[in-house]
Amino acid sequence: MSGIPPSALARHAFVAGLPADYVALLAAAATDVSFPAGYRLFEEGGPAQRCWLIRDGHVALDMRVPGPARLLVETLGAGDVIGLSWLVPPREWQFGAEVIEPTTAFELDGPTVIAHCESDPALGYELIKRLMTVATVRLHATRIRLLDLYGRTPAGTARPHRQLREG
Amino acid sequence: MTVRTAATASWAASPAWYRVSWCQTETPDTVTIGLRPVDRPIAPYQPGQFTMLYAFGIGEVPISISGAGAGPDLVQTIRSAGAVTTALCASTPGQTIGVRGPFGTDWGMDSAAGHDLLVVAGGIGLAPLRPALLTALAAPERYGRITVLIGSRSPDQLVYAGELSGWRDSGARVQVTVDQAAAGWTGHVGVVTQLLARAPIDPAATIALVCGPEAMMRPVARALCDRGVAPRNIRVSLERHMRCGIAECGHCQLGPLLLCRDGPVISYQRAAPLLAVREL
Repeated sequence: MSGIPPSALARHAFVAGLPADYVALLAAAATDVSFPAGYRLFEEGGPAQRCWLIRDGHVALDMRVPGPARLLVETLGAGDVIGLSWLVPPREWQFGAEVIEPTTAFELDGPTVIAHCESDPALGYELIKRLMTVATVRLHATRIRLLDLYGRTPAGTARPHRQLREG
Repeated sequence: MTVRTAATASWAASPAWYRVSWCQTETPDTVTIGLRPVDRPIAPYQPGQFTMLYAFGIGEVPISISGAGAGPDLVQTIRSAGAVTTALCASTPGQTIGVRGPFGTDWGMDSAAGHDLLVVAGGIGLAPLRPALLTALAAPERYGRITVLIGSRSPDQLVYAGELSGWRDSGARVQVTVDQAAAGWTGHVGVVTQLLARAPIDPAATIALVCGPEAMMRPVARALCDRGVAPRNIRVSLERHMRCGIAECGHCQLGPLLLCRDGPVISYQRAAPLLAVREL
């Protein structure tokens, strides 16, 4: 059964500040959910039709590799959005996601949200700006990680960082 | 932050002899050593200051002090990166090392009293922050909430890993994130700014102490400013080529500052315009 009180959804950081009528639309497409540790939210390659606004807990994005282990890509927590692939074709999960600590979230139905955005471009623009912010922050973080700042010789430099100026 | 003038003092110009009393391997390339004075000790030091450690016949390097001065030993954490640090990391108990210092500004723990402390460390940058944290945890009634956010390359590169639970037991909220998780890691994966976004911060009551690579400190400081923390209340530890330690040689110049004297700890209010200048 979907639909939650708009006042509850409005407290999530992703939604904060949205006009009340938009919050009401999203709240009608949302479900209050909770997951135990170890629960698989979605699997790489599966159809991406939902996203979650995490209220509390800890979720890991991962990727399959040969063997039983999975590579941890990133972890997300309270205030974060998990699931961006529902927004763009081919609407397939690019990673898997597993709950690390018991997690509560608002689950948004992707097709319903997309339909609202199509019929009201102002809502669509507002949501895209917010999702773009999420994606941009993660892109920046990924770039910083690619620099391997804490390694002996950070990527692209010939000199290690911190305490190590032996010139 | 307090500026101490060392240029005229004899202890600043010539090393005191210290004997290695113990060594502890932190990571495959990082070692913490305890040093005990052979004759005269260096002057009293404050969290955030550094010394020049001299491996005889090889050379001298600036190393942040990692201990809070509670015991008899001067504690320093060294990462093997070049000839001198490799020699220092390979030192064994009984070996003699030259020590000059202490040099530079400190974290200003007295002026931070009455505030929430937010300690943000990246990699080996936790080493100069450790004495500040130990000082705060030894007198927690002087401070508000103590939060420690640590970014590390991977779990096996985390320094002081064995101390984290003790810091938590002493009242600090400690969170660790890694760039690359190993099998079995159940902690956070991502950059330290992501921990910052989820950390409870009272901007008006917070003093932030930040140390790590500059490319990590800048986004951290910007994120803190975005959260409402005043730049004057964000303290960063900077480094350049510290050589003499007494503001004579100029190797550590950063704009108008000589970081061996005017740093390493300065406010982000002062640091921000300098860090934005290319090649400074």
